[in-house]
Amino acid sequence: MPDSVHVSTQFDEDLARLRTHVLHMGGLVETQIAASIEACISGEVDRVRAIVDTDRKINDLEKAIDDDCAHIIARRQPIASDLRLILGISKIVTDLERSGDEAKKIAKGVRRIHEAGTLPKQYGIGIRHLAEAALSMVHQALDAFARMDGALALNVIRADVEVDVEFKSIIRQLITHMMEDPRTITTSIDIMAIARAIERIGDHAKNISEQVVYVVDGRDIRYDKGAIK
Amino acid sequence: MQRALTYGVLTALVALSLGYFGEAWMGWVLFYIGLSVHLGMHYRNFSRLERWSRKPVLDASLEGDGEWDRVFRRLYRHEKELLEKIGQRERDFARLIAAVHAMNDGVVLLDGGFRIQFCNQAAERQLGLRSATDRGAPIVDRVRHPSFVDYLGKRDFSRRLVLRLERYFERVLAIELMAYAEDCWLLQVADITQTDRLDSMRRDFVANVSHELRTPLTVLSGFVETLQEMEVDAEARQRYVHIMGEQSQRMQSIVEDLLRLSSIESAPPPPDQPVDMARLIDKLHRDAEALSGGRHRIVLDSEGQGNLLGSESELVSALANLVSNAVRYTPSGGTITLIWRVSAAGAEFAVQDTGIGIEPEHIPRLTERFYRVDRGRSRSAGGTGLGLAIAKHCLSRHQATLEITSTPGAGSRFAANFPAGRVTGG
Repeated sequence: MPDSVHVSTQFDEDLARLRTHVLHMGGLVETQIAASIEACISGEVDRVRAIVDTDRKINDLEKAIDDDCAHIIARRQPIASDLRLILGISKIVTDLERSGDEAKKIAKGVRRIHEAGTLPKQYGIGIRHLAEAALSMVHQALDAFARMDGALALNVIRADVEVDVEFKSIIRQLITHMMEDPRTITTSIDIMAIARAIERIGDHAKNISEQVVYVVDGRDIRYDKGAIK
Repeated sequence: MQRALTYGVLTALVALSLGYFGEAWMGWVLFYIGLSVHLGMHYRNFSRLERWSRKPVLDASLEGDGEWDRVFRRLYRHEKELLEKIGQRERDFARLIAAVHAMNDGVVLLDGGFRIQFCNQAAERQLGLRSATDRGAPIVDRVRHPSFVDYLGKRDFSRRLVLRLERYFERVLAIELMAYAEDCWLLQVADITQTDRLDSMRRDFVANVSHELRTPLTVLSGFVETLQEMEVDAEARQRYVHIMGEQSQRMQSIVEDLLRLSSIESAPPPPDQPVDMARLIDKLHRDAEALSGGRHRIVLDSEGQGNLLGSESELVSALANLVSNAVRYTPSGGTITLIWRVSAAGAEFAVQDTGIGIEPEHIPRLTERFYRVDRGRSRSAGGTGLGLAIAKHCLSRHQATLEITSTPGAGSRFAANFPAGRVTGG
């Protein structure tokens, strides 16, 4: 840990292993999101099954990590930054798991859309932009956690606004589309669900970053707009 | 040593003689003072050495008296040699590190637990590492791609890992892990995005060629089978043979285009022979009218005098392709304008039509081999899918560029721009 030295190196190893597990889970979630977006744009419905299967692995990891956190608290009684790290991790894995769920939702939406027809071309670019922004938020949030970099975490939180703007513009586009031609409503609702899921992924990345700031600085900046600036 | 000994003996002798001839205590006092002076001198030198040893820098002021001076000088020389050696090593080391940083391939050095010990700039770029903060961190904390984590976990490094980071950086990386020294690992990262793209282009090309040839071949063999197995009357036979002729003609033109493309690719640069453009454009004009068969209005708009330097046959095949495309894709009643302009900046040959136009997303891919905007339409128009690829190739061999602008529904403009160096006075 950056600001304390332990007598017990075993404890250090436990913490390092815990961190690596969280990041491993993060890597899985990232690929899940990327794969679901890839399926959405290319229309390869075969990928959906693999995505749904991998989601189970993520769920198992979440349980295992939570279990480890409880064990460490019970056995080592961590204090100060170590305690913050453990508390932060147990919240971060929840957000990661939910991001994985959103990826699964995207994949299922893709299956629905492509069973009925194809993704209308004009949304491909918008979805891709939105997804790239959200994905880069997740990646940076995990980088910030890996490096314990509070400044990077704050950047991620600021980036969430862009994802929201992008999301709203897709929704506007969808509404106009639906008003012009009511036959597109079914597809539009599916696209909306996908866009919503991507936007939620951005929110989860933001939550992860908030936890990173908490672990690094000990500041709880949730629901506090002034702290971000 | 000798001097110190001489001084000691001399002091003793003087003190002894003073004690023998004068008072005994005077001898002792003298002896004592003499030894004290001696001791004081040693102590002064010793304190110099002591001061220096606390901060052993190259210091020329380290001078001693007598024997000490020699010792000090030897120390000084030794120190200087050491510093020189260290400096040399440091320069060597810095050069080595700079060389590793200059490499195109990423290099990461890992310890036995796969923790990052060192990474070069290429690896920072490729894997998103930061050497300033990532030292000592497990590499799987930074490169979290599941297939990479699995690769390290399996500990089977006999084959390299191909990592697709398409989503983040549109990159394909080949990763190899080698053991070196004792329980140390060298991770080598090569960016194979280009070769990967070439590979997939080659696969696509082979698949496309096979597909393009199979379509007419299927028709052909179907009719052959029919003729072999069924009794057909003369009229039907005539019709079948006609279709078979068309299809074999199609296959032939595909093969011809392929051969032309490959011969252009492997041919030496085009010669600098003047090509009579007035005659060439006149021929293109007549060919266009023949191909159109009176369905279009074909206009010639020529401005300026000048000829091109290059290979006539290549220029003809490039420009004729542009013209015949315009004729094929312009509905009856449309207008096709052949434009030839020569100016100080170079020359331009353009074909402007009032045809169906092309959607913007297709334009960058038009010159790819076998790329078709609309498969059914272009085959019925008799294209091989290679025309624009050949045209672009021929033009680029003449340092010319092909510029395509189009408005869907309103028409397209295909312009070949030749640099001034390729233009000669007419």
